[in-house]
Amino acid sequence: MAFGRTHRARRGLAAAIALACGTSAAAAAPTPVPVSPGPAVRPPVPAPLGANPALALPGGDEFGAPLIIDGVEIVGNESTSAGVIERTLEFVPGQRMRADDRRLRLARYRLLALGFFREVALTMRRGAARGHVVIVVTVVERGTVVLNRLWFGTSTTSVGWIGADVSERNFLGTGVGVGGGAVYAARGGIDDSRAQAAAELRIGVAEVAGTRWSWTAAATAVRGSEPYRIDGALDDDAAAHFDAFAYRRLGVRAVAGYDVSAWTRIHVGARLEDLDATLPAAPTRTLPSGEVLPLDLHLRDGRSQVATVSVGLDRDTRRDPVLPHDGTRVQLLAEGGARAIAGDYHFATVAARLDRWWPVRDGTHAVGLRLAGAATFGDAPRFDRVHLSEVNRMITPRAMGLTVASSAAPDFLGTRGEDEATGEVGGSVVVEYVARLFRGGRHVFAGDLFVGAGAWALANRDSPAALGDGLPFDLVLDAGLRLDTELGIFELTLANALGRVAW
Amino acid sequence: MRAAAAAALVALAVAARPAHAEDAPAIVGMDFTERAGAITVDASVSRLFDRDAFANLDSGFRTTVVIRLWVYRVDDAQPIAFTVLRRSCIYQLWDEVYDLRLEGEGRRRDVRVKTRGEALKVLTSLDDVRVAAAAALPPGALHVLAVVAELNPVSAETLAEVHRWLSQGTGGGLDRGGSFFGSFVSVFVNLKVPEADRVLRLRSQRFFRP
Repeated sequence: MAFGRTHRARRGLAAAIALACGTSAAAAAPTPVPVSPGPAVRPPVPAPLGANPALALPGGDEFGAPLIIDGVEIVGNESTSAGVIERTLEFVPGQRMRADDRRLRLARYRLLALGFFREVALTMRRGAARGHVVIVVTVVERGTVVLNRLWFGTSTTSVGWIGADVSERNFLGTGVGVGGGAVYAARGGIDDSRAQAAAELRIGVAEVAGTRWSWTAAATAVRGSEPYRIDGALDDDAAAHFDAFAYRRLGVRAVAGYDVSAWTRIHVGARLEDLDATLPAAPTRTLPSGEVLPLDLHLRDGRSQVATVSVGLDRDTRRDPVLPHDGTRVQLLAEGGARAIAGDYHFATVAARLDRWWPVRDGTHAVGLRLAGAATFGDAPRFDRVHLSEVNRMITPRAMGLTVASSAAPDFLGTRGEDEATGEVGGSVVVEYVARLFRGGRHVFAGDLFVGAGAWALANRDSPAALGDGLPFDLVLDAGLRLDTELGIFELTLANALGRVAW
Repeated sequence: MRAAAAAALVALAVAARPAHAEDAPAIVGMDFTERAGAITVDASVSRLFDRDAFANLDSGFRTTVVIRLWVYRVDDAQPIAFTVLRRSCIYQLWDEVYDLRLEGEGRRRDVRVKTRGEALKVLTSLDDVRVAAAAALPPGALHVLAVVAELNPVSAETLAEVHRWLSQGTGGGLDRGGSFFGSFVSVFVNLKVPEADRVLRLRSQRFFRP
């Protein structure tokens, strides 16, 4: 029996097919479908194949004729050297493989993944003899200068700060990534403070000689002025309640990464840093009650060195790392410094982060759970301790290491008993609800609206209101718009705005 | 500043297209037949191919079309039945023929055709494709068939590798904060490697078993 559209020609064809299959013509006659009964329900849009490997068919036997590659022709690479492209391909002239070989199928994506090309097309043409082919790789290059970060704002600590971080992912067409940034922060009204500046240079290779290894190295110079509260109530951020000390940091960091799988990477690193701080002789803080407390600024006076080694793991199963609606990201990091490896600080830091996203409403919305925490042990230098802005998005983040604002965190719950910018233990848990706003723009690829709320905590183990009396914690709120654009990713959020102005 | 931010948000929200616009399936007429205890469909997904994709059948590289079909009751979001077909085509440069492999419905067969047009037809025609057991569709109940066809879909693993390659090279600095806590993502430019070259979403008219 057939049933379908009231289309005479197709009905005839259906009958013919039915007859050809041995079914009676009468049984094959189509029945018109009623015009409008039933509710108008839109069936869910199935996820694409890549989203659900379980729906994929099992791989079959070899398919396609055997080939011998006579050569590789590269077309359209004006600034990228042919060597960079050839190293990325997993085949070489003289190699035998089938036309269906996985290395041929993946070649286009490996080239796109370099980030150097807007389009990549691969074709074959006949080679010197039967069965021989020449692979023709046609690329359309794209701009490879990437804006990584922008810093700007104003606060009582700095009249204004401005800076940017950019990368060239394909330096001189060599495939090597080079980047750097600089920040300048004008002096604010805090006594003993000064104008601040920081600069950084980076170099890295995302794939070393076709292996799973990668490496990056960075050199950073910071001329800073670190504020600390000397008196006043927590909600009083007037410059008169702060003092500052000058410091200078010069350091290098090198990291080597290894891709264990498509989703998991491990990395090891080392850092060497020379610090020079001019600390006050006996810093104190006067509480509103009149009590005077000594302050530990967690740095050596004068010159000191930090030397660390680190190991980390990163597992990321999110399909879209920019605007995720599903998947999980786990990050673990352990870093230790010891006098035995040329440092003056004997300490360790462990940090962990978990982001988990659950799609809802056909994947157009999502619920995210974001957990992050860190702890330091031993004599950690001030800049390695957990900073308030790391656990509370409503606080101005440090700009390339510079503290450009000293606002206290909003005390929604009245649970915050201290006002230190850094702590030994800190973390946050945030739940976000994300709604897809649009997809598919030409220059602005995608946008999501989100609203999030959660709790954060930051404490020192020896402080009166710390672990023994319950970890001080408070709320963090955020909402706004995330945009994935051709230039980079932009967040227009409440917390982001709060972090750029004095309030 | 807050007013400006609010205005910007509103402007973006107004300018942006609805979330479902690009996902909405096109409704096309399809022919359904019941025979031998199964519901079969006749349709075509030839619109999956544009001019470039059609020309690319001559590239010598494999072209793959994956077609997935779901049968739903119109008032229920849970599919009654699911079918997946995979069809591949490779042009043999020296023999000037198109080799096709058709997989699905529990079998596989290889076909050789001489012209690109024939290859396109074999890749995109749904001729008498079994989409559900007839017994799964109660007589009189309204159903629809949802079809998603993908041209050269990319596996989840390949996409993950691409994302991983993209995310490298942005780290550095003296402090963990910027890369570990501070930034929402570690990839700052999304290079938009698509999950498939093209995707076609179709929905049939409502149909029922008399």
